[in-house]
Amino acid sequence: MKKKNVRILLGILFAGLLIGLSAVYYVFNMPRRDLSKEKAMYQMEASQLVADFKKDENGATTKYLDKAISVSGEIKAIRTLDNHSVVFSLEDAMEGVSCTVDSAETVKNKARLEELKVGSKASFKGRCSGMLMDVQLINCVPD
Amino acid sequence: MKKLLLFAVVGMFFSTLEAQNIYFTKDAKINFNSSTPLEDIVAETNQGTTFIDIVKNEVKFSVLTTSFKFRRALMEEHFNENYMESSKNKEFAKAKFSGTITSPIDWKSEKKVTVEVKGDFTMHGVTKPITLQAQITPGKSGIAATAEFRIVPQDYNIAIPAAVQDKIAKEVTIKVDANYTLYQH
Repeated sequence: MKKKNVRILLGILFAGLLIGLSAVYYVFNMPRRDLSKEKAMYQMEASQLVADFKKDENGATTKYLDKAISVSGEIKAIRTLDNHSVVFSLEDAMEGVSCTVDSAETVKNKARLEELKVGSKASFKGRCSGMLMDVQLINCVPD
Repeated sequence: MKKLLLFAVVGMFFSTLEAQNIYFTKDAKINFNSSTPLEDIVAETNQGTTFIDIVKNEVKFSVLTTSFKFRRALMEEHFNENYMESSKNKEFAKAKFSGTITSPIDWKSEKKVTVEVKGDFTMHGVTKPITLQAQITPGKSGIAATAEFRIVPQDYNIAIPAAVQDKIAKEVTIKVDANYTLYQH
């Protein structure tokens, strides 16, 4: 009888340990945010996002930083970086919204991105990382 | 009439001069390394915005801390939430450098030169004076520049918990690689 209790206790402990370890393992190797699976928290015109940052950069940083945002506007410039990610500048090449599409996403969305030219209207969903000269959205996917 | 023409010519000369002394890029590569034998900690971003004024010999740099990419998503989270506190306000969301090239430099030489740059580095809301070495190669269509410097996180009020102290280097090495083109507004 006593032996059986010990065995059950050991079993529970072992199961707990296994669950704990796999939780630690999962958090440690946590996958990156996949913006294509996330719902945009804010949906707006690129010009509106820029206006919000220009009006109150501190407030806008707190409000938008790290949030999934979907912006639309006219493409003013397209450039490919050394690491094969592509940056689309919306509304203004210098002080608009810069949407960076990571190299992996450019492969996945090849057909859709190839249609986009300077002058065409586009919409991107990305994670806002703040404002330098332009407001920056990173990890973007075409929306 | 002649005077007016002279004014116009001189004015034009200065306005073109004004437009041609600033070089910039929004795609500067910045990485930092605080690895120890226990843990590899490297992060990189391609989103540094920087300007060089070749008349005043001034350099400006800024980068958003959330744009740094680490090996693990968890490291990115810790970096922004625990160490940089990026979402606190706009000062915490950026790292900035503003300085002056103090060594002589000939912007027409098209030769690689090593120069000294003195200025202020701001991170985590703290500004400190720093001096660093940079390699600058002026070219026909632009300017290429690289730099490397070290900072101590504690100087910028970044507290590293005792539990991970041995995993994070006491000094962080920051490397910058930028290709500037003429700034046209």
